[in-house]
Amino acid sequence: MRPSVQTLAEQYQNNLYAAAFHICRDAEEAEDIVWDTFFQYHTSKKEFEDEQHIRAWLLRVAINKAKNANKKFWRIHRVPLEEYMEILVFETPQSERLFETVMRLPEPYRIVIHLFYFEDYAVRDIARILRISESNVKTRLSRGRKRLKEVLKEEWEDDESGEI
Amino acid sequence: MTNREKYKQAFSALQASERISLEVENMAIISQKRRKNYIAAGLAACMVLVTGAATVYAADLGGIQRTVQVWVHGDQTTAVMEFNEEDGSYYIKYPDDQGTEVEERGGGVAIEEDGSERPLTEEELMEQINAPDLEYGDDGTVKFYYMDQVMDITDQFEDGVCYLQLKVGDTVQYVTIPYGQGYAMSPSRYLDPKEFSAGE
Repeated sequence: MRPSVQTLAEQYQNNLYAAAFHICRDAEEAEDIVWDTFFQYHTSKKEFEDEQHIRAWLLRVAINKAKNANKKFWRIHRVPLEEYMEILVFETPQSERLFETVMRLPEPYRIVIHLFYFEDYAVRDIARILRISESNVKTRLSRGRKRLKEVLKEEWEDDESGEI
Repeated sequence: MTNREKYKQAFSALQASERISLEVENMAIISQKRRKNYIAAGLAACMVLVTGAATVYAADLGGIQRTVQVWVHGDQTTAVMEFNEEDGSYYIKYPDDQGTEVEERGGGVAIEEDGSERPLTEEELMEQINAPDLEYGDDGTVKFYYMDQVMDITDQFEDGVCYLQLKVGDTVQYVTIPYGQGYAMSPSRYLDPKEFSAGE
């Protein structure tokens, strides 16, 4: 199957943006990554089995592009996280604290946490997308959760150890 | 609320701008223009070697303009670079593979031990842009670039780590590359990923 870029953009652009932002923590860079990801889809002739296949491929491409972007030594007009957070609209102060705490985690933990809690991927799916072992995913997930709990305390439940 | 619900609520604040939708709609039209930008961005994933060519003062940034040799994924080309030591900003101009001039501006900072940031010195900038680079392809390939050397190291990872030796002049550098977590070089030994990686 080959849905149009417009269809995919409507459906996934915020997902790709969030995933890219989790890695590069820069709005402008993340938007460029989203565009480049759709551009890669636009120019590739790859056929997909189903919608899940497309979604996973788009996320993997965006994540890889974000990792590559992170390795760039030169960056243009980077906006500090604190400054960017001032223009975001959070529903509650707890949401803002959770956002900031996650963004302060090391990148390998952030993206695993994001794919698990935001994208609802299981450990084996995250391992496939990131091309790392399932045990590595579990370790990162566990350490990420532990750090969130340490900072957020009662605002972060200790209730999902059985979900993986 | 479960943690998952809290997480989704918090990160629903992250929304891509409408600019992306508009650009995607016009993707075919603007693809050529963006392609050039993409190549410009790709410059950051290459290495620059200072040749010590003629030095002149330029008015743009108030810095020193130099001619440098740029390695763009294995191909060398001549670029003009200007560096302003007061704010660590740079300007670079070079021809892309189609002969079109690509320009880029930016800057670099160093993070001190106390967490404070300062502009990079020119020497630090040069050290960084002379460093090797990694590229992770969407098809799972991993390439290691160093000047004109391009190494496909996709199949060289064992337990998520690739070790390779890099000849730099008369010396050998030992390179440790944990997948997706950067790399480290040492002239004496392979560093353990735990010594420099944020991950496992």
